[in-house]
Amino acid sequence: MKKLGLFGGAVLIALLTLTAATRADTISYADAVTTLATDCGTDIKKFCKGMNLGGGRIQSCLEGHAGKVSPTCTASLASVVTSIRARLAAQSSFAAICKHDAAQYCKGVKGEGNVLSCLNKAKRVNEGQCGQAITDAGWR
Amino acid sequence: MMNLRFGTLLTVGLMMAPGQASAQELSDKQLIRTLGRVEGAAPAIDVALLVQEAAASAGKGVASLPDWQNLSKLSQLIVEIEFENDSVAIEPKSYRTVGMIADALHHPNLRRYKFLVVGHTSSTGDAKHNLMLSQKRADAITEALSTTFAIAPDRLIAIGVGEEWPVDPANPQAADNRRVQLVNLGLVR
Repeated sequence: MKKLGLFGGAVLIALLTLTAATRADTISYADAVTTLATDCGTDIKKFCKGMNLGGGRIQSCLEGHAGKVSPTCTASLASVVTSIRARLAAQSSFAAICKHDAAQYCKGVKGEGNVLSCLNKAKRVNEGQCGQAITDAGWR
Repeated sequence: MMNLRFGTLLTVGLMMAPGQASAQELSDKQLIRTLGRVEGAAPAIDVALLVQEAAASAGKGVASLPDWQNLSKLSQLIVEIEFENDSVAIEPKSYRTVGMIADALHHPNLRRYKFLVVGHTSSTGDAKHNLMLSQKRADAITEALSTTFAIAPDRLIAIGVGEEWPVDPANPQAADNRRVQLVNLGLVR
């Protein structure tokens, strides 16, 4: 009986993991570029001296030295670019996704920041699509 | 949580836990609170005038000029962003700081505001060169924010003041004086 209980627990954990894995989590801009600095810092100093983060220059420099840049950096660069895009997309979709919930739970609240903190307090919102949008935007 | 080392914070009415030293760690939420405090009586800032005054004051300082003093009355924070020597290239170890600023500026509490990015140097080297370098570095930071992190360019104004406004006037060559000041200028019009 005890063994069965343990087994049941394992299945539950596996199911929860599976559910979580179906949706890609977004990460902060700070975390995204920290990965870039950690995994590509040496290559940036070696191949992209004097170049800056802005204007996609570091990205094109690293891509331009594809054969010489470390495999870790090459893999990270792609994921960093994807992470930043995913966070930007999540943040710009907030207003549209949460429009209905804002009208329902935060009627009369003025200002996007105030609407957000109102939505964050509404339990019903947290369970729905809008709640997920807030999480993906990094605004919990 | 974004853990970052910050330099001295010179903010009016800044809410901070007591006993914090000059180098501290702020969470993203504290950062947003710090920058989002807009006082009704905040002075209007004429950036063109600041640029003009900084250029005219190379080697003489701006700390005593009322227009520059007005900046101290606005919500702001000071961060350290390291650059390659005599270059506009941000060191990879400082990418996180720029990313953290992007996280804050994209937050709904701050999305309506525009910001002044002020670059400062220490007094090592020629004053005019420092003035020019600090302007280019402030430009580099705003460029990274508006391209890599898609902050609307009309929300960011870059200005370099060189060595003219040291945070440690007794030791103008000290490394603490090299810093970036991020000032909330109020609503985007």
